Amino acid sequence: MAVTQAPPARSLAPRPVPSFGRRTRGLLFSEWTKFRSVRSSFWALALTAVTALGGSGVIAVSSALANKGSGLPLDPMASIFFAWLEYPVLAVGVLGVLAFGSECNTGQIRTTFSAVPQRATVLAAKASVLGAVVLVLGEALAFGSFFLSQAVLAAHHSELSLARPGEVRAVLAGGFSLFVVAMVGLGLGAIIRHTAGAVAALPAVLYLPLLVLSLPSPWADRIGSYTILMSAYQLVSLHRQPGLLAPALSLVVLVAWPAVLLVTGAIATKRRDA
Amino acid sequence: MRELTKNFGPVTALDRLSFVVQPGRVTGFLGPNGAGKTTTMRVVLGLEGPTAGSALVGGRRYQELVWPLHEVGSLLDANAVHPGRAARDHLLSVAQANGITKRRVEEVMELTGLSTVANRRLRTYSLGMKQRLGIATALLGDPAVLVLDEPVNGLDPEGVVWARELFKALAAQGRTVLVSSHLMGEMALCADHLVIVGRGRLLADMPIESFVQANARSDVVVRAPRAAELAELLRGRGASVEREADGALAVTGMGSPEVGELAAEHGIALHELFARHASLEQAYLDITADSVEYRAGGAGQSGRAA
Repeated sequence: MAVTQAPPARSLAPRPVPSFGRRTRGLLFSEWTKFRSVRSSFWALALTAVTALGGSGVIAVSSALANKGSGLPLDPMASIFFAWLEYPVLAVGVLGVLAFGSECNTGQIRTTFSAVPQRATVLAAKASVLGAVVLVLGEALAFGSFFLSQAVLAAHHSELSLARPGEVRAVLAGGFSLFVVAMVGLGLGAIIRHTAGAVAALPAVLYLPLLVLSLPSPWADRIGSYTILMSAYQLVSLHRQPGLLAPALSLVVLVAWPAVLLVTGAIATKRRDA
Repeated sequence: MRELTKNFGPVTALDRLSFVVQPGRVTGFLGPNGAGKTTTMRVVLGLEGPTAGSALVGGRRYQELVWPLHEVGSLLDANAVHPGRAARDHLLSVAQANGITKRRVEEVMELTGLSTVANRRLRTYSLGMKQRLGIATALLGDPAVLVLDEPVNGLDPEGVVWARELFKALAAQGRTVLVSSHLMGEMALCADHLVIVGRGRLLADMPIESFVQANARSDVVVRAPRAAELAELLRGRGASVEREADGALAVTGMGSPEVGELAAEHGIALHELFARHASLEQAYLDITADSVEYRAGGAGQSGRAA
């Protein structure tokens, strides 16, 4: 058992630092491997797809029936995506929460941070991988929902066409709003570091602020238009309603929510013990 | 490790703990539950910040390392994995984050005997299999330093022997191997050097041989009807003799043959005569006796002064 002759010590001299590109690529691949290798990712994505297509389909049918003979609804776009702001956002938000929260719950996060002690970078990589997946899926679903609704409405002699001004923007915005909510979920997961807690916080962040909509006018709109879901609504509407924010400002508000949460999450993650 | 102090609120987990772990040998990191072994390792790996002091690996803080798995491999908690992920995907995700190839992932699974269960999800793994996975993870980057917290916990006897040989082999390759345990017996079989802590303080830091020499008391126990007479004779020859509670004599400074010869010379009948070696386990318990954090309350056991 005794080592009579000490073997040559392994060198601990600093190794050449891999390039930023290689580090980034490695980290993104790592996060992608993690994302694709748990079933909850697929379930959350599937639930997002079903609720998105189903929700807009149902709304299209009901609005077509309701508007029979009375022409188009006031804003067909807003009505397509109306259901989106209820159900798919929850599914995709939970997906975001799980991306970080489940690592904290299982202890996986300690393995992750042992491999990459630069914690904010880990969060950024997660946001990139999750963001890319949700953005692609979200836009696909947005156009899918659009064409589905168009088909339904056409059967009832209502019109909807991407050729009309603002419609492409509105459809893109529908997909983008799912991306935003996924990032909100990720930020909450990083701040709360507990899946159940963050899942509970998600509807609180999405829906509770909507209570201001019951304030007396004009305060309802003045404050309410800065909530996540109202910003998304303003962005998917074809016609700007009086008192609400213009699309450009809505976009800024919509990006600011996840940005603030993710930065807070990054700071919290760096500071706290893992 | 320099003057490492870690406070959790009012609780001092590490109290100016300083020691150096050398390459080329297995260093056993011992201490009772709650002594601060895991906390020390977590601080080394940058999972916790020290309240004061610093823990350096090769002169640098862990947080400064880029792709640290090439320099430090660690196993802190075998359960720190996502249970829904398959072993191969788990290892691959860790490997990719440090630019390690798929081939290396297969190699470490081969090395730890996990190849046949690589596609099984980790919730189906036993603790022993997870320990193997943790060791595989630690070896991914072929690191010069290994930090392993209770790695043999949950391994079957065969696995324990395997792990022991593995650690020795890794040290023999010139690596620095720090292995924690609360079992002296385990360390006696694989460590070359011991670092013992209790209640966050350093209690011992020495080669295992020195520990054995310094602490493993050995004496001769002799039982005779004419014990008092024999004791006098033994003292007359320069041995020191103590009478034990059951009437036996504990003789130090003289071997059992000499004791037997002396008794025969004087016609003293011996009922029992044997050499007694206090185990390392006992020596370890003696050292840590004052610093046991969690002790089962038992009869005759007075409460530890707070």
